[in-house]
Amino acid sequence: MSRHRLTIVLSQAQGKNPAKRALEESIVAALILEPGLDVSVVPHLYDLGPDHTGRLFLESVHGDMVLLSWLFPRAAFWVLDRDGIKGRWGETQLKPPVDEDEMDDEEAAEPEPPKGIGALGVPDRFIYCLDLRDSNSHEAYLAEIRRIAADSKARHETKQPAKAQAPAIVQLGLGMVNGTAQPTLGRALHGAEAGNGAAPPRFAPDQILQAPERRWYPVIDYSRCTNCLECIDFCLFGVYGIDGVERISVENQDNCRKGCPACSRVCPEQAIMFPDYKTPAIAGAPVGAVGALKIDLTKLFGGDTKDALSQAVDERDRELVADGRDAVGMAVGIPKRQVGKEQGPKDDLDSLMDQLDALEL
Amino acid sequence: MPDALTFHMGKFPAVLPGELRYARNHMWCRPQDSVLRFGFTSYAVRLMQDVYFLDWEFSDSTVVQAKQQIGHIETSKATSDLFAPIGGTIHRFNPELLKDPSGINVDNYGAGWLFEMQVPEKGVRPPKITGSDPFFGAEADTMGVQEYHDFLAANWEKTQNMLKGHM
Repeated sequence: MSRHRLTIVLSQAQGKNPAKRALEESIVAALILEPGLDVSVVPHLYDLGPDHTGRLFLESVHGDMVLLSWLFPRAAFWVLDRDGIKGRWGETQLKPPVDEDEMDDEEAAEPEPPKGIGALGVPDRFIYCLDLRDSNSHEAYLAEIRRIAADSKARHETKQPAKAQAPAIVQLGLGMVNGTAQPTLGRALHGAEAGNGAAPPRFAPDQILQAPERRWYPVIDYSRCTNCLECIDFCLFGVYGIDGVERISVENQDNCRKGCPACSRVCPEQAIMFPDYKTPAIAGAPVGAVGALKIDLTKLFGGDTKDALSQAVDERDRELVADGRDAVGMAVGIPKRQVGKEQGPKDDLDSLMDQLDALEL
Repeated sequence: MPDALTFHMGKFPAVLPGELRYARNHMWCRPQDSVLRFGFTSYAVRLMQDVYFLDWEFSDSTVVQAKQQIGHIETSKATSDLFAPIGGTIHRFNPELLKDPSGINVDNYGAGWLFEMQVPEKGVRPPKITGSDPFFGAEADTMGVQEYHDFLAANWEKTQNMLKGHM
């Protein structure tokens, strides 16, 4: 009998929204009773600094992993990659609810295959990311995790006999009671009783630890990034850099200006995500999927819609001024492709936008 | 009080209650004690359909300019930034919608209201908010039901063009 185990990590929501906490609790409670799973809870993934225990734990996981978070799966996957926690993309079957008439209009829209430069040093294991906004019921997640566990086990058994591992329930997040510390994590878990998982851990609000501070930085989806370097030209805060193998990277993430998603708008491949941004397209929603095809009614509802580039320039100028520097407008780092693009044939979206502009409301 | 009117969006009848005022951004306005209550018209709700997310840029009691961005909405069919229909103080946002924005779909003229704005002096709010109102500014005019109906009718063809292939 195989001792193969699948690691499940639940990344908590920022803040203390009771509905979100309740879903998190019910999922963990259900998973604890499942055989063959190591269940852990960490604070919000995007906010985990390099020294955070939750991050150290994630780094210590080497097998297949399922990550549940309040982020789009694409965003969660590339945040992990950014943190050096790499793996192959695990396909999941949990999808956001879709209404029927929407299927009719939009099923034809297949996202084009990625043509990016890809991630480096990806180990042979899979990371499955599930979005906690996709269902309100823990059963949906349980079912999907069972499916993934079966997949993972089958793949594992065809590869090699499993190494024996001690059963473990590691609790590193907020509000943990019981947990079995792995040896490498002992120092960080001094507060936890060695309960050997006898009693399922409970989330008690009064035991919730201080959440990590909120962070703000771009996350690159290397499955889309073509290394065109337009972001490094556009950002004037030195966030981006070139790594040792001539690839774009987020070099100084703390230079990033909180709330500013300008570089994401400039990226021609939609490879730059700000997982906490309000607009799904920038927060890492699937590219070319339902979200991206939604019609923008901003003009109809009284807004002056701007194209992405002028919006990005405005956002950058605002941050420059706030930083005591001079606004640069269109003078610096504007991608040249915008000029040539005008001459190309208009696609449906272009025509739609033209019609929108023609509306005088 | 004027009668309710119905604007036909194809087969869908968008009912426009007669007692409400209407803003050009497709919000209705109802004077309510010392505040003005705003919500989406049935016309707006029909375009958006099921509301998934509703975000406001700030919390209660914030002074806003007319047309200032105040929030963002995402629905099954659309996304949009949301803007202040008039200038003034946003007294409070509908707390029920913060928990569950689908109230907009259930009862857009009633329990699914969006926010309340403060009027300058209690009790003296004239029913018509006009462009000359010094508090609300020149851009802040709202329309009566007939005027809003005509406004929808005048723009319906353009709006349909815009939506073609998306509804």
